[in-house]
Amino acid sequence: MHRVPRPHNTRFLSSLSSSSSSNAYNALISHAPRTEHGNGPLKGVNVAVKDNICTKDLRTTCSSRMLADFTPPFDATVVSLLREAGARVVGKANCDEFGMGSLNVHSSHGPVVNPFRPSSGSTSPPRSAGGSSGGSAAAVAAGLCDVALGTDTGGSVRLPASYCGVVGFKPSYGLLSRWGVVSFADSLDCVGVLGRSTEGVIGAFDVLNQFDLRDPTAASQELRTQASDLSQSSWDGDIKHLRIGVPQEYFPTELSHSITAPLRKVLTALKKKGATIVPVSLPRTSYALSAYYVISSAEAGSNMVRYDGVQYGHRVPPPPGSDWTKTARVFAHTRTEGFGREVKKRVLLGTYALTADAFDNYFLQAQRIRELIKADFDEVFTAPNVLRPSSSSPSQPTLTNDGQGVHVLLHPSAIRTAPLLPSASSTTSAEGEEEDLSSYVQDVLTVPASLGGLPALSVPAGVAQSGSSGQEGTGDEEDGDGWPVGVSVVGQWGCDRMVLDVGRAVEEVVREL
Amino acid sequence: MLNARCRPSLIFSLRRHFNIQARPHVEDERWPGWQVLVGIETHAQIKSRRKLFSGASTDSTKAQANINVSVFDASFPGTLPSLNGTCVDLAIRAALALKSSVQTWSTFDRKHYFYSDLPVGYQITQRYAPFARGGFVQCDENMVNIQQIQLEQDTGKSTFDPRTRTSFIDLNRAGTGLLEIVTHPDMRSPEEAAVYVRNLQALLRAVGASDGNMELGSFRCDVNVSVNRMGDPPGVRCEIKNLNSVKFMTIAITSEVKRQIDHLTTTGTGVSQETRGFSEHSFETYTLRSKEDAPEYRYMPDPNIPPLQISQDHINCVRATLPALPDQVREKLLVHYGLPRRDVDVLMSIDNGKDVMFDGEENKKGAFAYFEELCAPGRSPKVVSNWMIHELLGQLSARKESFLECAIDANRFGELMDLVTNGLVTRTSAKLIIQQLLSETEGRKSPRAFAEELQLLALPSTAEDDGELTALCRDAIQSLPGEVAAVRKGNTNVLNKIVGKVMKESRGRVDAKKARLCLEELLRSANQ
Repeated sequence: MHRVPRPHNTRFLSSLSSSSSSNAYNALISHAPRTEHGNGPLKGVNVAVKDNICTKDLRTTCSSRMLADFTPPFDATVVSLLREAGARVVGKANCDEFGMGSLNVHSSHGPVVNPFRPSSGSTSPPRSAGGSSGGSAAAVAAGLCDVALGTDTGGSVRLPASYCGVVGFKPSYGLLSRWGVVSFADSLDCVGVLGRSTEGVIGAFDVLNQFDLRDPTAASQELRTQASDLSQSSWDGDIKHLRIGVPQEYFPTELSHSITAPLRKVLTALKKKGATIVPVSLPRTSYALSAYYVISSAEAGSNMVRYDGVQYGHRVPPPPGSDWTKTARVFAHTRTEGFGREVKKRVLLGTYALTADAFDNYFLQAQRIRELIKADFDEVFTAPNVLRPSSSSPSQPTLTNDGQGVHVLLHPSAIRTAPLLPSASSTTSAEGEEEDLSSYVQDVLTVPASLGGLPALSVPAGVAQSGSSGQEGTGDEEDGDGWPVGVSVVGQWGCDRMVLDVGRAVEEVVREL
Repeated sequence: MLNARCRPSLIFSLRRHFNIQARPHVEDERWPGWQVLVGIETHAQIKSRRKLFSGASTDSTKAQANINVSVFDASFPGTLPSLNGTCVDLAIRAALALKSSVQTWSTFDRKHYFYSDLPVGYQITQRYAPFARGGFVQCDENMVNIQQIQLEQDTGKSTFDPRTRTSFIDLNRAGTGLLEIVTHPDMRSPEEAAVYVRNLQALLRAVGASDGNMELGSFRCDVNVSVNRMGDPPGVRCEIKNLNSVKFMTIAITSEVKRQIDHLTTTGTGVSQETRGFSEHSFETYTLRSKEDAPEYRYMPDPNIPPLQISQDHINCVRATLPALPDQVREKLLVHYGLPRRDVDVLMSIDNGKDVMFDGEENKKGAFAYFEELCAPGRSPKVVSNWMIHELLGQLSARKESFLECAIDANRFGELMDLVTNGLVTRTSAKLIIQQLLSETEGRKSPRAFAEELQLLALPSTAEDDGELTALCRDAIQSLPGEVAAVRKGNTNVLNKIVGKVMKESRGRVDAKKARLCLEELLRSANQ
């Protein structure tokens, strides 16, 4: 069985979280009253739901002061589907505000603490659970639920999964309904599933994978069927016929050495079982991060405009003597107080990217890069992309060194293990000014699949091994710190089942290691 | 491709200014030596039951505030748009009526600005790839060319109470579908602009795309006006916003033309491009904002709404069920049915454009359809039109009812006409029957059953020596000795009064002509 991490030594946590010990990691920010499970395929399954997914019986704050007391009048489609299938929602999971962040430190509920505890058992300062779905990953890791819903816009499910040592799946864009999922960047937002095993994730995914009329970006039934047929005809499920691509661009200089060792072991084990490992190139990967931040911020800026304190949510009445001449100036009081620092930063970036002067150079340029990123992916996969008919002609994959396509890509999920949480003092002062750039770099391995709308799964691949000495805390905590490392499996659009099957194979070899 | 999709159409804004229709200049005595160019941007509410992207009702007139509002309209987090196909079909109808080319691929964009009656903070519109391009509206001998038609959302309504310094927001209208119809600057006078607006209204009403009601705000016009001395290139234009009647629009254009000419001749400097309002009290335009204050709308392709793809087959389908356009109706009434122009004008003015209900559903009771149904079994169009105009419309207007509220369907009205034609009911009785049928609240009795019940069936017309008629006439002569004497003195007009008495006593069952003959006969024989 997969290792369930033991709870951390919690002495130091009192300063970070005032909640009860059952929520020592600040993973769940609200708890549902205990109810009976319904009947269905998920009978008996406890689910935590990220707090940017609407639940009509629990506040949905998006970890924002703006929605501190907001309870939606409806359930998100994904929540309804889970409830109908017999699952019980146990509570709402902490996250970065509106899903913006990679460390789950930008939250009105405070940061989430990674529940993982290295086997050495020594106490160490608290680490980040990753973000933005940090509460979802931590809740799964701490055994507070069986499965958690997260959202993944640029890696927000896969990154915390990797940091917390759980399985995190971002399905193909358009498969899981976004009705009731509070938008961050609509063209990238995906509902994701986290669980302790791929099996658990598959169970929930099968229930959630339904066309929903209320989501205008939902993939049609025809497209789903077409893609899954192509997926099945391209790989029969036999690991001896599996071709795994390893993209050379996914090993940047920032990548910690302790990450590559577990990945290498997984690849070797898979090869031993008969899989073919193929070095591939996705040459436009280096542009992905900047394109991602322009697109996601532009959409975020647009989506955040609605929070003005008029219809719902936090409202700050203009103080006496305020400027009432423009509506925007009246709203500014609410928005200044209601949004956190990271959200404001992205709104400003996004607003700039959409101004008439910057639109061509930023927004349109980013859209062009996005197309190139998609083209890169289409050139390495054997299965054609049903969303891009122009490229679906029997393409000759050219970016693999043997001229043949691959079924999936395998690469590290993150450039490092879970980083330390900023200390309490720096958190309150400036939410860590200097950490910002490195937290963006953290997304470098996850955003390409988001831009491509591709299914991507992070599976635990063991822990970062320390050097031969086996010593802990050698000063460089990134080198073999004994914290979880995740590997990502990425497939062609609609080949979700294939990605999950490969994930199961990875899980198996990791267990055997 | 993306480039083409997203780049603001600079070419179009230039065309809008410089693609000037070539036609002979007609000197206007109000401003001799000057040429006036007018272009109009119309926002017409789509006549659909439900909003453009939500299932909420579009009824924003009768309902109390904030009743027809879905979670999407109120911009609740987690809600998503879903395009209403009926609005699209109505927009296709509009495009077909304007001979505009429906684009097989169009996209939706967000136009951002902060305003309290725009809860989501952006309007969904079609900036980069509009719904339809080209087209024209025939306006007398001139053609007003359409630049493009786009689909977009209406906003909510906000009202301000200055006493309590409180804004009230009503979202009933928020999200209702709008057609934005932009012309080239093809109009050369305030009057031409008025003709265009009236014709556009008539076209949109005829196909059921919009109610076209300026006063109620379902049809709003922004007018671009520029002036230039003859021979000079077009001048800088000013936009006048929110004109809510054709009359005010004409006055606003006239006033704006005079203002611009006055500015050019007195200051010698150019007109500055700005957006202006119109005061209905002073009849003058005033500055709303200058070009420098133009808002930054931060247009962005809406990531939630996939491109709208419309096949040629679908367009053909909509074309096949397109209601007749006003020109076609007029032509048919004049040529096919041979009605006089005066009758045609009256028939076409009946409930103008209300033949089509919400969501483009056809209304069988529309005046033209009613007329055609009456003519179908071979009745004389002229007679039908007479009956409709003189008997039916008269009584409807006396009852203050619109034609659509008419309780007599064409079938029964036709039956009544036939009763009269066949001499079974007199025209006078028919009027009474129409009156009864119109006030009938339930049951759909046939006119014949009514006539029988009220004993209005005409006395048998064949019997020459009809005992009853003669008896009625004798009674009348006896009861009106004074009038009889007057008639005998040669004042034949008074005979009408005696005829009237007969009619009254018979409750209209006798034919007035026959009664007259009978009376004359009786008086003559008594004389001798």
